[in-house]
Amino acid sequence: MKKYHLVRRPVQSIKRLLVYYLIGIVISLGIGAILLASLGINPFEYYGRMLTIGMVGNKYAYKNFEGFLKVLVPLLITSLALGLSFKMRFWNIGGEGEFLIGAISAAIVAFNVTGLPRPVTIILMCVAAMLSSGLLGVAVAFFKVKFNTNETLVTLMLNYIMLYVITYLGKTKEDWNFFLDPKSARPIFGKFPETAIMDGIKIGNFNLLWSVIVAIVLVVLIYIYLKYTKHGYEIAVVGDSAATAKYAGMKVGKIIMRTMFISSALIGLAAGLTASASGTISETITNNVGWTGIVVAWLGKLSTPAIAITSVLIAILQFGCKTAATKYPSIDSNFADLLQGIILFSVLTADFAATFTIKKKEDAKNA
Amino acid sequence: MLDVITLFLFSIIVYNIPLLYGTAGEIMIEKSGSLNLGVEGTMAIGAVAGYLIGMRSGSLLVACLVSFVASGLVGLLFAFLTVTLQANQNVTGLTITTFGVAFYYFIGNAVSNSESKWPALGGSRLDAQFQPLEIPLLSKIPVIGKVLFSHSILIYLGIVIAILMWLYFEKTNPGLKLRAIGENPGAADSLGVNIAMYKYIHIIIGSGIMGIGGLYMALNMGGTFEGSNCWINGYGWISIALVIFANWSPSKAILGTFIFGFFNTLRVQNAPLATAFPKTLWWLTNIPAQFFSALPFIITLIVLILSSVRKNNNSNEPAAIGRNYYREDR
Repeated sequence: MKKYHLVRRPVQSIKRLLVYYLIGIVISLGIGAILLASLGINPFEYYGRMLTIGMVGNKYAYKNFEGFLKVLVPLLITSLALGLSFKMRFWNIGGEGEFLIGAISAAIVAFNVTGLPRPVTIILMCVAAMLSSGLLGVAVAFFKVKFNTNETLVTLMLNYIMLYVITYLGKTKEDWNFFLDPKSARPIFGKFPETAIMDGIKIGNFNLLWSVIVAIVLVVLIYIYLKYTKHGYEIAVVGDSAATAKYAGMKVGKIIMRTMFISSALIGLAAGLTASASGTISETITNNVGWTGIVVAWLGKLSTPAIAITSVLIAILQFGCKTAATKYPSIDSNFADLLQGIILFSVLTADFAATFTIKKKEDAKNA
Repeated sequence: MLDVITLFLFSIIVYNIPLLYGTAGEIMIEKSGSLNLGVEGTMAIGAVAGYLIGMRSGSLLVACLVSFVASGLVGLLFAFLTVTLQANQNVTGLTITTFGVAFYYFIGNAVSNSESKWPALGGSRLDAQFQPLEIPLLSKIPVIGKVLFSHSILIYLGIVIAILMWLYFEKTNPGLKLRAIGENPGAADSLGVNIAMYKYIHIIIGSGIMGIGGLYMALNMGGTFEGSNCWINGYGWISIALVIFANWSPSKAILGTFIFGFFNTLRVQNAPLATAFPKTLWWLTNIPAQFFSALPFIITLIVLILSSVRKNNNSNEPAAIGRNYYREDR
């Protein structure tokens, strides 16, 4: 018989968790440094550039910060939204698809609704995006609730179907296709009319987009929603045990469908804001937030503040690697994904070490 | 006209056999109750490792072994994280995909920028061994000979692996135990099956099989590294869809590969077909390429929904799929 076995630690200490996480991240960066050094890149220089997102000693530092925020906002909102569904143990991995359908809907409004003031147009775009994404999410939840259809696999399929829908729109030169730039002979997505493009608050040269403010407000709202409302409580109970929730008289199906609507609609909102901020759409408009958001939500242990912090860190990693990559020809921005993978692997290990402990069999019996 | 059909059928097999590797590997993993969404990344790592070392050694066998081992190591990582460390399978799998594809780019850029440059496949010993084997007599049959009996050895290997896996699941004792783990790990555990060991072994072997599929893609695409496009090109994701379409059966996966391959080939060869049969197939060129690309996912989505709506008892989806097994939670 085995002498040792795993036991869940009776008390979860946040401090221990953070220390273990930190050790994991340091080890990952160490591995990354070795990889960089093997390419002849000075890791300190690279990390320096990455962590400061190329702002130090840069005359156009504010441009970098604007770029960083454009990466952060969709990632932050999507991660929070995915976290909502994960809290119910509903494996919505369809962030990509929900984002894409939202972006397409926002673009439909942008290209067709003209003559309205800018804020009205943008709000309409966001509403259209939220509705379309939300309905897609509800549809998935409906099948899950009614027929126990595997939501992971369904949302995965939808991601690719939506990807090909937007690719089709971007590649098909036809009279009806208002998505395309009419002036270009080659099919490319057109630019939105002026009134559909988001502006912001000018602080000197720096342009603080409205989407950043929306994202910050959302963090607070979602925190309150989960922590202090009946809905938030219901989500927590369903996630803990659907059977308990049912026993307590909660309508589990309704809760799942409602939460999935909110979760997907928020991803739609992220898409609407992103489309408006970039003034156009494209196949790559998601910037993979649907995938990265899953990792971020998980790294943040589904806690709203932790997800917010994690998405800032991951956005620094991604945008930082992009800016750093321009300096070194032997590496491209995919290094961010490599590093992100290594970090997740070590954080998962750290997570385990913090949750479980190895005990001798006899000890366990006495306990 | 016959040439067009021959080429069409031939292409179905030549361009889509990696799906069979990916699907067979994923079936083996899912049968153990684990959902590994890292197929794309696992294949990418197997492909780049097998290709580079295979080119050095000049042996296809070495290339296959290296691909198998490299992807098997990725499988080991997945097994360690999800089986031993109880990490979430979706998150781990997705990260393996991002990590694996990024690894492909990292190695690719590093080798391309190094002094030795990226090794070119054309004319190499590896390429020679990858070329089609004309099976004597059989390959001389019109149409069928070219379509079925003049292929690279890796194509036959893929089909052999799928058949062996089918036999393993259906006819052997370990195969039966494996299926029991996927259905009800608690029950299997109480019968004395070593769950962790079974999961480890099958996740590693399944991942290794995917790796050979990745190597095939590398060789079939001429082995050139492009900084913007990964060799695997979404085949890993289609494989995950195909597992569902094949109803978790390796023998049906062979058929499924050809069905998905049929659509995939229609996308590429719609023009020659439409020209060869202007009366009957003229409409083919009117269908957008993206529709054919999306078709595997659309079909799988429909299969998923229909089989759950009908409460289909024929579905072989392992009941415990995606959930980690922790004995003390039982």
